[in-house]
Amino acid sequence: MKKKQKIAQRHKISFKLNSKDVSCDVKASAVLMDVIRDVLELKGTKPGCREGECGACTVLINGSPINSCLFLAINAEGKKITTIEGLTKEDGSLDIVQHELVQHGAVQCGFCTSGMAMSIKGLMNQHEKSNRGAGKNKKGQPSREEIKKHLEGNLCRCTGYVKIIDATEKLFVKEK
Amino acid sequence: MDFKITSPKNKAGLLKAMQEGKNFRFGAGYTDLLMELKKQEETSFTIINLAQLNDKTFTEINTISGGLRIGSLATAAEIVNDKFITQHFPALQEAAHSLASSQIREVATIGGNLCTASPSGDMACALMALEAQCEILSANGKTRTVPISGFFTGPRKTVLQKKEVLRSVLVPLLEKNRKLHSGFIKVGTRRSMECSVVSLAYHIHLDRNDSIVHAGVAIGASAPTIRFAKTACDLISGNNLKTISQKDKEEFAAKVVSYASPITDIRATAWYRKEVLFNISKSIFE
Repeated sequence: MKKKQKIAQRHKISFKLNSKDVSCDVKASAVLMDVIRDVLELKGTKPGCREGECGACTVLINGSPINSCLFLAINAEGKKITTIEGLTKEDGSLDIVQHELVQHGAVQCGFCTSGMAMSIKGLMNQHEKSNRGAGKNKKGQPSREEIKKHLEGNLCRCTGYVKIIDATEKLFVKEK
Repeated sequence: MDFKITSPKNKAGLLKAMQEGKNFRFGAGYTDLLMELKKQEETSFTIINLAQLNDKTFTEINTISGGLRIGSLATAAEIVNDKFITQHFPALQEAAHSLASSQIREVATIGGNLCTASPSGDMACALMALEAQCEILSANGKTRTVPISGFFTGPRKTVLQKKEVLRSVLVPLLEKNRKLHSGFIKVGTRRSMECSVVSLAYHIHLDRNDSIVHAGVAIGASAPTIRFAKTACDLISGNNLKTISQKDKEEFAAKVVSYASPITDIRATAWYRKEVLFNISKSIFE
């Protein structure tokens, strides 16, 4: 008797996760979020809506923020991925983004916070990148509107966003 | 959710996958496709994964004589940050910037926005106003070019045949250094992550005295496909952008609305869509 064929196609992938080389075996349909949480056991990346609306699962790919719930793990091949765990320094001290979020009391229940921090880090990376070698045409610090626009893919149901935006604004003042 | 996937690394691999594949679909940014696949336990088709394709005609944005060639795998974020697009095709830059969220813009591709053929596709609407050409690659290696006005055949339907893939779009640059009045208006029920209630892209070329030399206007979320409002464009040709009369503005807006056959759904009623479309059409002169 012929067994019903299961698809179960497996793929071996290798990428850099928080500056460390990792490789694992994943299903074709596995999304990056599940691989990060369940295979590599880093639980800081949060599953929220699982449909790209809430941003709780935001991670950085080559420095830019993406929704890891809508990203196929196999497409992480050869890329540099940073999660909230990679933001914290080796000695356990907080990244400047995390520090400002704490200083401003921009955290309440905390579920959105890791995604929010990664999104803000992504904005800082992009800002720095576009100012690299820009000479006199350097972009100034982003306006509150620009910060809001950048964070539109991150939902927070507790804070009302004000303190999160305050914290982000402060980061760019410091940067100068 | 489970499926088979093949990830061609170059054009030869892609053509091979297309020739050999019997039942396949393309995936690039997956922001739309994965949502659809998550609803299914198992799929009957294989996915040809374009995300790892390393072919410049698919991935790069290049100026060519007569315009700009945008590879179908260029992401919305790349379009937002492209200086040439910002300068010469503001309607497209604004449309890409208005799309979903920054996380989605990092991965969503212009090809996906076109091929998913949503009546409310933001970049697709701008490309319609810009009168772009779609460059389609067939499994036998041949390419054909289709004007975007003929690309969409219905909601979620395009002219793409089974063994074809959208390789790139060509955006014509009529004349360098021409004065422009170009933009994208999107009306939704919220500001972020919004699927438009109606949208309108306009790309108007002016002479030194602000007379309209050429106009391209397209509407989204108003009909089964994105539509180019040809008679509205013809009407304002030759008029002066700054001094166009109230009557002409209203006649223009009425012509734009004549292309709309909207539906009533969860986001808005058909009546509301038409009202909004009329008003935003008028507003492009202000």
